[in-house]
Amino acid sequence: MDALEGLTVLDLTSQIAGPYATKLLADMGARVIKVEKPGGDAARSLGPALHDQPGTERSATYQFLNTNKESVVLDLKNEAGREALYRIARLADMVVQSFSPAQEERLGTTYEALRARADVSVLSMTNFGHTGPYRDYKLSDTVVFAMGGEMFSHGLLDREPLKLGGTAALLQCGAMGAVAAMGAVHAKEVHGVSQHVDLALFDTQINSIDRRSAAILAYRFSGRLQERAAGPSAGVAGGIYPTADGYVEVTATSGSYWLRFVEMIDDDALRGPKWLDPAFAMSPAAKEEADAIVYPWMLTRTKLEVWAEARRAHAMVAPVLTAMDLANDPVFRERGLWTEVHHKILGTLPMFGRPYVFEKTPWRIRQAAPMLGEHTDGVLAEAGYPAAEISRMKSQGVAG
Amino acid sequence: MNEYLPLAGIRICDFTAVWAGQTATMYLADMGAECIKVENPFIWNPMTRAASPRINRMMAAFAPPWIAGHPNGEPGPRPWNNCPAFIQVLRNKKSFTVDSRRPEGLAIVKSLIRISDVLAENLALGTLEKIGLGDAAIRAERPDIVILHMPAFGRTGEYIEGRGYGAHIDSVAGSTVLRGYRDTAPSSNVQIFAGDFWGGMHGAFAVMTALRHRRRTGEGQVIELSQAESSAQMFPQAALDAAWNGRDSGSIGNRSIEGFVPNGVFQCAGDDRWLALSCRSDEEWQALVRFMGSPAWATRNGLETAPGRAAAEDEIEERIEEWTSRHDLYDLFHGLQAAGVTAGPVMSAKDAVEDPHLAANGAWTRLRPRTTTRRPTSRRRRTGSRSRMCV
Repeated sequence: MDALEGLTVLDLTSQIAGPYATKLLADMGARVIKVEKPGGDAARSLGPALHDQPGTERSATYQFLNTNKESVVLDLKNEAGREALYRIARLADMVVQSFSPAQEERLGTTYEALRARADVSVLSMTNFGHTGPYRDYKLSDTVVFAMGGEMFSHGLLDREPLKLGGTAALLQCGAMGAVAAMGAVHAKEVHGVSQHVDLALFDTQINSIDRRSAAILAYRFSGRLQERAAGPSAGVAGGIYPTADGYVEVTATSGSYWLRFVEMIDDDALRGPKWLDPAFAMSPAAKEEADAIVYPWMLTRTKLEVWAEARRAHAMVAPVLTAMDLANDPVFRERGLWTEVHHKILGTLPMFGRPYVFEKTPWRIRQAAPMLGEHTDGVLAEAGYPAAEISRMKSQGVAG
Repeated sequence: MNEYLPLAGIRICDFTAVWAGQTATMYLADMGAECIKVENPFIWNPMTRAASPRINRMMAAFAPPWIAGHPNGEPGPRPWNNCPAFIQVLRNKKSFTVDSRRPEGLAIVKSLIRISDVLAENLALGTLEKIGLGDAAIRAERPDIVILHMPAFGRTGEYIEGRGYGAHIDSVAGSTVLRGYRDTAPSSNVQIFAGDFWGGMHGAFAVMTALRHRRRTGEGQVIELSQAESSAQMFPQAALDAAWNGRDSGSIGNRSIEGFVPNGVFQCAGDDRWLALSCRSDEEWQALVRFMGSPAWATRNGLETAPGRAAAEDEIEERIEEWTSRHDLYDLFHGLQAAGVTAGPVMSAKDAVEDPHLAANGAWTRLRPRTTTRRPTSRRRRTGSRSRMCV
């Protein structure tokens, strides 16, 4: 049995953040009916493409974000398309959308419009919410992290602030969408309350626990601003060290972390009371003396060998893994970080696996991401459209 | 209104510490769960209660603001009650102190478990087992409980003895290697805690799905959330490029993996002022060019398409920064957005606090009665339910 069995979600999201929210629901067993515009979700053209050959069904981004979903193509700019949307909404418990407030008005997907036709909760994942001076402003992964997240203190003091890798900030906003969606699911199932959940991506980042919310509070409390660091590390050891084949992240601040680090290196020259004296430990001389021992030790080991030594000593040291490391790592593979999908056109492919392991209601991929419009006929039929009407809608470009 | 909070009536026995775990239960508490934070008065809760129990004004000035920016810079005699990180992540929770290492204390904890719906923990692997609270012992008290474990590197396999907090999880998850400058080695990267944010949200989501299953079937279960494996999902494009195409990604700085050119962060007039800018389409590029006054370098042939611009990306970035450095950040922000270009300021905490949009949307709320300072509200407003405040 799946945890979200029996829950039907009408998914009007596109690109990255919204589809990640509904992916989390779909992968736990919700039925997610994704409505795509004619031509499809723009994420279908996002890279990387399988074997670097672009195509509607070949985007890794789309394939990852849309596992376990159904694809229905509808033109919501057309009145008949909107009518079909409302009828499909009656099959659903919840609608998740990522249109801008102006698009919601234009396409007839405001909370009021949807509620007039179906008993659904509606989660709107907009850039900046439905009110306020930035309401109609645009966002990207970089801009939402710059404005909302703690980009200001990420990077080095004499350089520009840095974004996160990939599209991490947008995916974080998607994860918050899933949390909010589950709140609405509980409220509806327990209290019988359908409602509008207004989630602004900007707000998600402003509330980010990755230093941001505490940095804002700290400024309010004390007037102090979190600044970018002058350099990557402070004190006698710590930061990122090169190894024979890559890097490791080290925390060895004084006290027990330092003692465990020394236990890992296992060199008597690093033992003794002087290393525990803060005045010495924070001096450049101490760092120079320690580095002369630590660097050669690191450079004669691979990052995974260093990690094995670190685990033995319980040192706060971990390897800086690359995507290829993660793809090939036998321990993570054995644990199930990777799985497989069977795609009708692409065949069997490795797919990035689960974010959690459930004892009784497993995360699982029941089907690969849908082909464009794969489920249009079936879902429209379920919504009450006769076959002749469906073909007429398709020939007129209302459905696809 | 409280009776409509989605998780009203759900009680959490909360053994989480540091960031990821406490963030997961924070979201659950925000949604109405009664979160009882079990603390041992003889064991310091690092990273969130305060930088140290004995921190004084001078020490606080040397520690990062997020952990040591106490009100007016003064930690006072009870720094564990007014540290910014603590005020944020312990909101809506109750504190319950007990020494669970002693038999009498363990008995008290067990009686709390008997009346709890969820037990959450992210302690070093084996900590709960050591005090006699393995899964079987927990379920002996409460058979239908939902147990959330959030180990750093899993509960099975060779890596379980690994130790680390957010920064180390970021490294193993493949985050660190992707977020440096294009022209520097990863050894110049600083520590951040993206994985704590991610793990917290996924932990809260996972518990809520398990609670739905329990409501429908009466069945509890154990959830294992390996923080590193979960956080690796933040970079699916890099992971699948490796698995499908045999290509390994490095850092591309502030450039875009979505094909946006230009995409970056550019210095503006003034001290430490930066504009984030993404041309998400060729139309946005044309709008940017017009907004800059159509300079000759930008209107030459070849830059109309993203691939054409990618071939000249270094030059484009230099030219844009020459231009932005002569202008006020917020003039550019509003002007570019009005022109249809995706752009925004890199906001410091000060900028966020003074931001008119956040103020207009009621982003801040005042806490009473323990403090008169403000914190961000929960990011959701919904009809029929609301966030509570009882820090």
